[in-house]
Amino acid sequence: MPTWKKILIGFSLIAFFGAAAGYYLYNKKPADVRRLQPDLSVTANFLILAFNSDEAAANLKYLDKVIAVKGIIADIKIDSSTGQASVILDSGDPLSAVTCSFYNDEIGAVQKLSKGTEVVIKGKCTGKLMDVVLNNCSIIQ
Amino acid sequence: MKNLMIIAVVFFLLQPSFAQKRYFTKTGTVSFRAGTAVEDIDGLNKSATCVFDASSGDIQFAILIKGFEFKSALMMEHFNENYMESDKFSKSIFKGKIINLDKINFLKDGTYPVKVKGILEIHGVKKEVETNGQFKVLGETVIAIAEFEIVLEDYAIAVPSLVKDKISKTARIKVNCSNSILK
Repeated sequence: MPTWKKILIGFSLIAFFGAAAGYYLYNKKPADVRRLQPDLSVTANFLILAFNSDEAAANLKYLDKVIAVKGIIADIKIDSSTGQASVILDSGDPLSAVTCSFYNDEIGAVQKLSKGTEVVIKGKCTGKLMDVVLNNCSIIQ
Repeated sequence: MKNLMIIAVVFFLLQPSFAQKRYFTKTGTVSFRAGTAVEDIDGLNKSATCVFDASSGDIQFAILIKGFEFKSALMMEHFNENYMESDKFSKSIFKGKIINLDKINFLKDGTYPVKVKGILEIHGVKKEVETNGQFKVLGETVIAIAEFEIVLEDYAIAVPSLVKDKISKTARIKVNCSNSILK
């Protein structure tokens, strides 16, 4: 095979894999948090305490991480018009709690929960507003 | 006459406790569209905080920028890292007033047009905005709905020329917060 042919084949292979990788990245969906192992496990009380005492340090530790949070259910919000489900975990602090917003198809599992019971929820920590907020949540236990 | 005075004074003293009614939610939604005909770019945040006072008309919304969900991982990464710089500017806040409060009857179910004016902070830039929305009063629940447009440049959000046919110069923002009465 002449050299120019080899080079041509080499280049077209690189171009093909480059395009395939680009296409793959372009269409890649955000990671399904339900399939990820939690990086950290904490109680709702501990999480709020960490954010209240030093928000910058807590951000470094928890922000963008998948965490499992154990706590007592203070409230359950289900909006049937949008198919949205959220659970609010009590933290012992009346001014802040942990708000967990669930995947829309987890609504059935959320409906089975009841206020005042203990639950472990896995989700991605997006920071603190009034509450510490978890996104893409599902129930572990 | 004296009795009447006492009644008037008692009424006057009691009024604040009658009138002070606050509504709030931590699970409102804020979504935006900034795509073009070439590409859809939509983000959804399901943990918006909203609180308003039905007697003073003070109203506030707040969201965490990292809380926006996207259909594509790359879009989410670009949104957080390149455009909104969410590590630096983690929150977006609106603080304002309902300016036609007298037209809303919180005791009567119905849909009321609402005018809101205040300061909107996005990407660390504060700007005065005014927009129209709706309040849907349903017993002790008030659903606050608004839809408005912002110009990305106003908030120092730079779009590289390479992708300017994919990203719109404006973002259409939709707010939908179902507020419950705070007892």
